[in-house]
Amino acid sequence: MLKSTLIILIVIFGVYVLIGFLFGLYFIFKGAKQIDPLIAESKFSVRLLLFPGTIATWPFLITKIFKK
Amino acid sequence: MGLDYQLVLWNKQKKRYDLVLFLFIVIYLLGFAVVTFTTNANTSLETLIIRAFGSLAILMLHIILMIGPLTRIDKRFMPLLYNRRHFGVLMFLMAAVHGVFSIIQFHTLGNVNPIVSIFTSNLDYNSLTNFPFQVLGFLALIILFLMAATSHDFWLANLSAKTWKALHMAVYLAYTLVILHIFLGAFQQETSPLLLGLVGLGATIIVALHIFAGFKEVKVDQAKVSEEDGWHYVCSVEDIKENRAKMTTCAGERVAIFKYEGKLSAVHNVCRHQGGPLGEGKIVDGCITCPWHGYQYLPGNGQSPPPFTEKVETYNLKLVGNKVYIDPKAHAPGTPVDPIKI
Ligand code: HEM
Ligand code: FES
Repeated sequence: MLKSTLIILIVIFGVYVLIGFLFGLYFIFKGAKQIDPLIAESKFSVRLLLFPGTIATWPFLITKIFKK
Repeated sequence: MGLDYQLVLWNKQKKRYDLVLFLFIVIYLLGFAVVTFTTNANTSLETLIIRAFGSLAILMLHIILMIGPLTRIDKRFMPLLYNRRHFGVLMFLMAAVHGVFSIIQFHTLGNVNPIVSIFTSNLDYNSLTNFPFQVLGFLALIILFLMAATSHDFWLANLSAKTWKALHMAVYLAYTLVILHIFLGAFQQETSPLLLGLVGLGATIIVALHIFAGFKEVKVDQAKVSEEDGWHYVCSVEDIKENRAKMTTCAGERVAIFKYEGKLSAVHNVCRHQGGPLGEGKIVDGCITCPWHGYQYLPGNGQSPPPFTEKVETYNLKLVGNKVYIDPKAHAPGTPVDPIKI
């Protein structure tokens, strides 16, 4: 019981990270510019640096993009 | 200060800060290896790596948590604050090496997914002495990742200062988890008593420093203000050092009153960048300079010098004899207010 609950939580965690990874690819090429125009003028290396953060915060970023 | 994003806004102090940090890490790791191999020659390389990086990470975390209250207690600690962000990211990387090597060492041998293995190889969640302590380390590492990953200015601007701040307060949760990770782990591992002693001492110092610095802040906030026709008395002119500020509280907001070139000006104490305390900064080249990352504001109007666009609130002052009074009503950010002549 405990074990299967833990496994379910870990799978949810894994799915979250996976979606974040896919969304992150979109975000550094396109999405970031949509929510912050300053990004368009910054070097590409800055966007790469944002990648880990997008994996962590993607639900927040998606809502932000949709609101625009 | 807000024209485009840089990887890092480098300056001389930050470079020196990072160099010292880098040397500290190298010396610590080498020293740890030498001591380990001279005292216990048959330690395996993996165990050495796990222990060296784990103990380095917790040492760095202690220093990071002490910097905040120390600078509030004594300004001479200010240089430590200057690039605390890089300190934090490096600490996460050290903890990550420790975590990844632990996972390789203990969780990749079977045919269970390593992450699942961390959570389920030991299910004694009700036990104290046999608690799955690695789970606590894992959760702490996730929190540290979240903070390191969102440390760039882009996140501060886009997650909103409030969310960002809340996120970064989670460092205290991570710290608690790590402390439990170490002490519960000690029941099952041959953790050195020296490490346990030092961590116990470190935790005590951190709690004490926070309480002490907290009291100091409360004192600033509750310092009594005597009123005179709506003007609040702050201090006498001599109480403010040249090119420095005196902080006071007006209508619940902290305000910094600067003295420079025979003049006085008051601005809201909170830096637009990350909320650094402007009143703990100095006037450099005629600008109020934030002690945290060096954003600048002109004292006469609270505006960053062009081409930058940050603005803070300004306040009216008046001088009666040598007594400084402030009107607690703030002007809109960036409003010019003539400095008063001393
Ligand atoms: C995935 C995450 C983590 C895993 C799997 C993990 C695993 C372990 C293991 C297996 C030990 C016992 C090592 C031994 O004594 O041989 C240990 C000890 C320790 N861990 Fe972690 N840990 C993790 C995260 C962390 C984090 C985030 C920190 C601190 C920031 C940390 C700090 C320590 C310390 C200080 C020790 C005691 C080291 C010693 O015994 O000398 N760990 N951890
Ligand atoms: S808080 Fe970063 S410069 Fe003021």
